[in-house]
Amino acid sequence: MLAPLLERFRQRDRLALARLLSLVARGEQTEEILAGLPTTAKPARVVSITGPGGVGKSSLTGKLIAEIRRHHLSVAVLACDPQSPLSGGALLGDRFRMPAHPDDDGVFIRSLAAAGGQGALAAHLPALLQLVESFGFEVILLETVGAGQGDTAVRALVDVVVLLLQPETGDELQWEKAGLLEVADVIALHKADLPGIDRAEAQVLAALGLSAGPTPPVLRVSSRTGQGIADLWQAIRALPLRRGLRRDADELFRLTREWLAVRFAAVRATPPCTALLDRWRTGQVRTEAAVRELLRLLSDSPLDHD
Amino acid sequence: MSNAPLRVVLAKVGLDGHDRGIKVVARALRDAGFHVIYAGLWQTPEAVVRAVADEDADWLGISLLSGAHMTLMPRLLQLLREAGLSHVGVLVGGIIPEDDVPKLLELGVAKVFGPGTPLDDIVAFLQQAPRDRHASTAS
Repeated sequence: MLAPLLERFRQRDRLALARLLSLVARGEQTEEILAGLPTTAKPARVVSITGPGGVGKSSLTGKLIAEIRRHHLSVAVLACDPQSPLSGGALLGDRFRMPAHPDDDGVFIRSLAAAGGQGALAAHLPALLQLVESFGFEVILLETVGAGQGDTAVRALVDVVVLLLQPETGDELQWEKAGLLEVADVIALHKADLPGIDRAEAQVLAALGLSAGPTPPVLRVSSRTGQGIADLWQAIRALPLRRGLRRDADELFRLTREWLAVRFAAVRATPPCTALLDRWRTGQVRTEAAVRELLRLLSDSPLDHD
Repeated sequence: MSNAPLRVVLAKVGLDGHDRGIKVVARALRDAGFHVIYAGLWQTPEAVVRAVADEDADWLGISLLSGAHMTLMPRLLQLLREAGLSHVGVLVGGIIPEDDVPKLLELGVAKVFGPGTPLDDIVAFLQQAPRDRHASTAS
């Protein structure tokens, strides 16, 4: 079943890419699929577009697609939304806000909702990104709702995190609380054509001024007027491909912590983990032994645990 | 695979700007456990087909209130076939004269839902339809 599909993928059949993304998003046959992918000649630039709901991620992504195509780079968009925990259904409307490029094979847009919500989606993301990269897209835009902690996990999987903020969305303390500013490589103040942009910019710069170390560039952009879109792409492009960096020990430690967080999310609901918790609660296993056991579960578990 | 949520692309083609009906359907399908990709208003048939392809949709729902169904639907169905998407089930909702319904079914539309169709009927139709539509392309 899988072999012909993978063969079509290698022939750059978009329908095969689309189908494989469905399988991987459901956690089906992920390891077999990944094993069958061609190696990529050139790594993609993976850019996460994140921010609170309603900040205009999809509209901005739509503008970025056009800008990236102007530079003759192919681009794939993965637009991620949570699915309803009640019905398992999802209403994915991001595509609606991006202009269609029906005749352009250099643009691929895919909406995703993972069973099990944001945590499970994060667990499937490495494989989803690998699929799109292996297909040969040069830029991958990953659109996710910024929800604080979840973004730290996403950060480990991408080269550049663009955080979108807009005028009149809460005060600086809210952003600080959510830990959003810390994960950003570029901060885009969206809807810069609206009143209140000066105040928003001042708040962000003040918040950034409190942190030690280098601060990310802060840009004013507007999807409505097109202001700052070209500059935003330049800022994204100017940053190193973080996934490829191999020198900084801190970076490796940080990545390990973040991958561990992703694995925790995937493992905690599994039968071996709940069984371990039961044995620990009832005193059948000592705390130290339980910790060791948990570490073993974390390191053994496939990242794409369903 | 059998328990995975079905993916449904909903779109409006042509110039009619009335999107209340399709939004109500989108919400009902979401609540019934479908993954609904809302592609929006004023789509060209080409853009709809590209959305169906990239989204790996099982179903495509088109809302038509403009009276242009007998020009737009044949074109859309032909483009789907050309794109290798014959396995995707096509639904039409909206104001379709009774005489045109058999013609649309003849063209390959799976079902036409007129105004006032209970949402439960649409949900039930999709839930009862055979799920192995993908067999032809997955093998």
